[in-house]
Amino acid sequence: MDDIANSHDLEELECELDAAAAKAGRKARRRTAIHDIEPGADWNDVEHAILTRRSIRKFKGRQVPAHMIRRILEMGRFAPSQGNCQPWSFVVVRDKAMIAEMEQYCVAVCKNMTATIDYTNYPAGSEQRAVIMANTQKLNRENPNSFHPVPMTAIKSIANGRFAVFHRAPTVILILMDKRGVGVPEVDVGVVGTNIVLAAQSVGLGTCWIGFSKLLSSNPALVEKLGVQPPFEIAEAISVGYPIGNPTQQAISRQTHQIVWWEDGKKEILY
Amino acid sequence: MSDASVEKAAVPADHLPIWDDPHEAIYHRVSIDLDKCDGCKLCVVVCPANILELFGPKDSQKARLKGDANGCMSCNNCYAVCASQGIIASKPYDFAGFYEQKQISEFMFPRKF
Ligand SMILES: Cc1cc2nc3c(=O)[nH]c(=O)nc-3n(C[C@H](O)[C@H](O)[C@H](O)COP(=O)(O)O)c2cc1C
Ligand code: SF4
Ligand code: SF4
Repeated sequence: MDDIANSHDLEELECELDAAAAKAGRKARRRTAIHDIEPGADWNDVEHAILTRRSIRKFKGRQVPAHMIRRILEMGRFAPSQGNCQPWSFVVVRDKAMIAEMEQYCVAVCKNMTATIDYTNYPAGSEQRAVIMANTQKLNRENPNSFHPVPMTAIKSIANGRFAVFHRAPTVILILMDKRGVGVPEVDVGVVGTNIVLAAQSVGLGTCWIGFSKLLSSNPALVEKLGVQPPFEIAEAISVGYPIGNPTQQAISRQTHQIVWWEDGKKEILY
Repeated sequence: MSDASVEKAAVPADHLPIWDDPHEAIYHRVSIDLDKCDGCKLCVVVCPANILELFGPKDSQKARLKGDANGCMSCNNCYAVCASQGIIASKPYDFAGFYEQKQISEFMFPRKF
């Protein structure tokens, strides 16, 4: 016999429980939503927070009260994770000198990277450009994610001081990942961060994910000073503060992505 | 309008795009409506790629892409801050060869299904 209860039986059980509760004058136990939203309904609060969240890179100088940071971290704590292993912990940096030290180190790394891999610094046709390009493209083949063209302009801007790594935010949350996590802990870390940035958006705080925080990992002394200990490593960071202006006032336009949709024995392609 | 439509270079699928070749790394997909723009500068301030600037006489400044504009992420942070809806990225950045964008379609505002 199939020992997985079939959903029809479960629905009947739900109805029986409800009826029994009603008879006894108790509240129904049913927890599942039975009213679908109408097509085209307005955004609810969660949807609204998702649509109006933007990455904030210009912050007011004012520090965020500690309880607000605790509050958004608390939303991270209830994120789903593989095997419920919760392979994360946090370092919250609100110390100006410490943030400055982190910034300085990342800038130094970017300066070094620009000098050694960015062939666009050299004129077309020059020998230097050809040499650097050959080397960079070799690294690119070995590591296509890190050498994606998109971050390259950012690295250059960081190196020449036009772009701050942590965006001079008053609070920086480092998300640490337990390397021994179930399955793919990198995904769990992304999920916990998403809870945090959406919770922050919902209470009027601005955030920006800082993938460049990974650069800190190449400085073991600084990593240790920050309070990061194995088996944890710095996976990501989120800068938090009050946004300048009103960068979350309206939803934006984005590309659509392919959806392969199987239904009634047919395959459709949607966007 | 400054929506330069650049043609993508024809290269093999495993070709690594040259970062500063405008036909291989295509970023210039932001349009600015000079009639709507009131020169408030907010987009210039928030643009993460730092590719926007103001131009024109002091009393009627407008936004535009910098001459060496590169690295637009099509993030639309500029659109989000603009109170007059004068600026928008309406296509994703794209690359010729290895990093070509795949299985995507045009930009759309959030749809209420
Ligand atoms: C994991 C991750 C890492 C990121 N790292 C950085 C970063 O180091 N610096 C930065 O300015 N933005 C960073 N971003 C923000 C993206 O650039 C941004 O999410 C994207 O351009 C879309 O814009 P939006 O967040 O305003 O919708 C990161 C985003 C994610 C999800
Ligand atoms: S935010 Fe809008 S109005 Fe202000 S300068 Fe940019 S395009 Fe012009
Ligand atoms: S889409 Fe983003 S990167 Fe491009 S111009 Fe607008 S703010 Fe700048």
